[in-house]
Amino acid sequence: MVDFSLSDEERQMRDTIRAFITKEVMPLEQEVLRNEREGRSSLPADVTRELREKAKKAGFWGINTPEEYGGINLGPIMAVIVAMETGRTYVPFGFGGTADNILYAGNEEQKKRYLLPTIEGERRSCFAITEPGAGSDARNIRTRAVRDGSDWVINGEKTFITGGNDADFVMVFAVTDPEKGANGGVTCFLVDRDMGWKSEPIHTMGEWGPAALVFQDVRVPHENILGEEGKGFELAMQWIGQGRYMIPARAIGAAERMLGMAVEYAKVRKTFGNPIADYQAIQWMIADSHVEIESAKWLTLYAAWQVQQGRDARHASSVAKLNGAVMANQVVDRVLQIHGGMGYTKELPIERWYRELRLLRIYEGTDEIQRRTIARNLIKGHVKLGEIG
Amino acid sequence: MNIVVCVKQVPDTASERNLKTDDKTLDREAADGLMNELDEYAVEEALQIKEAQGGEVTVLTMGPDKAAETIRKALSMGADKAVHLVDDALHGSDALQTSAALAQALRKIGFDLVILGSESTDARTGVLAAMLAERLGVPQLSLAGKVEIDGGNVRVERQTDYGHDKVEGSLPAVVSVVEKINEPRYPSFKGIMAAKKKPVEKLAVGDIELDAAAVGLGNAPTQVVEFAAAPPRAAGTIVTDEGEGGAQAADFLASKKFV
Ligand SMILES: Cc1cc2nc3c(=O)[nH]c(=O)nc-3n(C[C@H](O)[C@H](O)[C@H](O)COP(=O)(O)OP(=O)(O)OC[C@H]3O[C@@H](n4cnc5c(N)ncnc54)[C@H](O)[C@@H]3O)c2cc1C
Repeated sequence: MVDFSLSDEERQMRDTIRAFITKEVMPLEQEVLRNEREGRSSLPADVTRELREKAKKAGFWGINTPEEYGGINLGPIMAVIVAMETGRTYVPFGFGGTADNILYAGNEEQKKRYLLPTIEGERRSCFAITEPGAGSDARNIRTRAVRDGSDWVINGEKTFITGGNDADFVMVFAVTDPEKGANGGVTCFLVDRDMGWKSEPIHTMGEWGPAALVFQDVRVPHENILGEEGKGFELAMQWIGQGRYMIPARAIGAAERMLGMAVEYAKVRKTFGNPIADYQAIQWMIADSHVEIESAKWLTLYAAWQVQQGRDARHASSVAKLNGAVMANQVVDRVLQIHGGMGYTKELPIERWYRELRLLRIYEGTDEIQRRTIARNLIKGHVKLGEIG
Repeated sequence: MNIVVCVKQVPDTASERNLKTDDKTLDREAADGLMNELDEYAVEEALQIKEAQGGEVTVLTMGPDKAAETIRKALSMGADKAVHLVDDALHGSDALQTSAALAQALRKIGFDLVILGSESTDARTGVLAAMLAERLGVPQLSLAGKVEIDGGNVRVERQTDYGHDKVEGSLPAVVSVVEKINEPRYPSFKGIMAAKKKPVEKLAVGDIELDAAAVGLGNAPTQVVEFAAAPPRAAGTIVTDEGEGGAQAADFLASKKFV
């Protein structure tokens, strides 16, 4: 029946990744804070590269990449466990050897030109659906691609594109048949930067920012359509669906680490002659945070388990994403509160996390959109109440 | 080259460690078990020698069932197979008895080179390598910061307070290593998955021609008679810097003979 335990291998992998993060990545944390305080980029590029090489040597590479592409394809549950561990540090770092899921939908030529070099880290992708006039209602995009001989000509603007400043190609979604719109009239194109799109950084409350992308008469060969003409919207949903339960996974790692900091601080910080850990007000914040972290953990693992079982995990993923995003913001706020004035300073990473985690409630479906999806699934009867598993 | 690495599961130094009141042995069940840190260097060295020279790396551990976790870690790092000496009769064995049991197991396995960490973080006797070499009648090269195999000989740089000695011995031999020697690898995920399929042989006292009456707590030549918790750390000395702080700190260090 229900079994909540990790297998021996899962536990060992978890311990190994934890050791790697603790010994190799966390020591860079103070440098990250210092660099950011002084307006430099979080880490010099060579340090990030070295770290990634070290990780690759240790075999942390291609964690979710199929074996025929050189990866180790550990599956969704292990991916969540790994993300919980990497989420413990705020050092901006990710393991290499991965590529966007929809790039696997490409033909052999496209795989050679886009998928393989992305896995190898030689090329960088970005995913562009959001527009100034179409965010939550992504079906409403206006970027237009018009056929001209053997090419398509793209015009329009994309915004908030993660990685858009550095990417050398974009998976861009454009309307190819305005009559049909999102119902068979949106197509995904693989567009190299040197085909003519421009990017402009957007400054945010976080330590990194996405980009606005401008397409002005960008000419793209017909063979650069990813998947089928008119099937772009499905690919976009596939891309978003893959990452949804990974967002709370990373947040759980961060929240747990911060709660640990809060517990330690509460034991040593004294007011009115007692450690603040003695006060019920502090204890309740600690207890509530733990309860919420645990809920998020199991909801996220459940969503991953559904994917692993090959089931439709969309509802469970929405539940986990909404819960995890809200949890992380509540926990970081309490942890900051427990640290008092120190929590508000840039000496500690809490305020950094506070700013960064705020994003979780917005991207890849806002809180409100998740609620809308969850409610609709219930109201329309797609999801039955009273089920287990 | 047939290399055997002796590894030991020790309680995590970061967790609370206690002796049991009834038999005055370490409560191994209560603490999280980890591979003794220096043994990771021993495993790494064995793997590096194997990678350079070919051969096979066998892991040998003596310990309760739980020590299988440490075996698995060594196999995940890349060792080929393992021998787990596990028997209730061995519980509470001291260094002399442990070396007797391990020596018997090593005779059974056969070896060109035995590598082990120079001490464990729990008992810290640091005598096992010497005892093993003596019992097996082979050279001991201790505190190695570097190991080179040259035909039938092994050369090490033996770490000392003043630098290192170059020591050479003939194979088969026992080598104990220090941290300086290498940087242990992380078990790769592939290695972790492969470890499951690697052979682990379990041996009991009867399998290694050892008399059960010669090992274990009741027969140990040394005994823990009494133990006491370390006294809590006294509050430190606070030097208030009113221009003289540096000198006062230096005086303090001199008074404790640190400088
Ligand atoms: C840092 C960052 C990175 C991003 N990265 C990418 C990327 O890589 N690629 C990409 O394509 N996009 C990306 N996005 C875009 C992101 O997915 C959108 O910002 C998000 O979908 C919300 O759209 P919007 O900002 O237009 O808000 P809007 O859709 O304008 O929403 C405004 C408010 O109205 C609420 N709302 C909207 N509709 C409803 C409704 N029906 N009922 C109730 N409330 C509603 C929303 O929840 C929100 O509170 C990123 C955004 C950010 C901030």
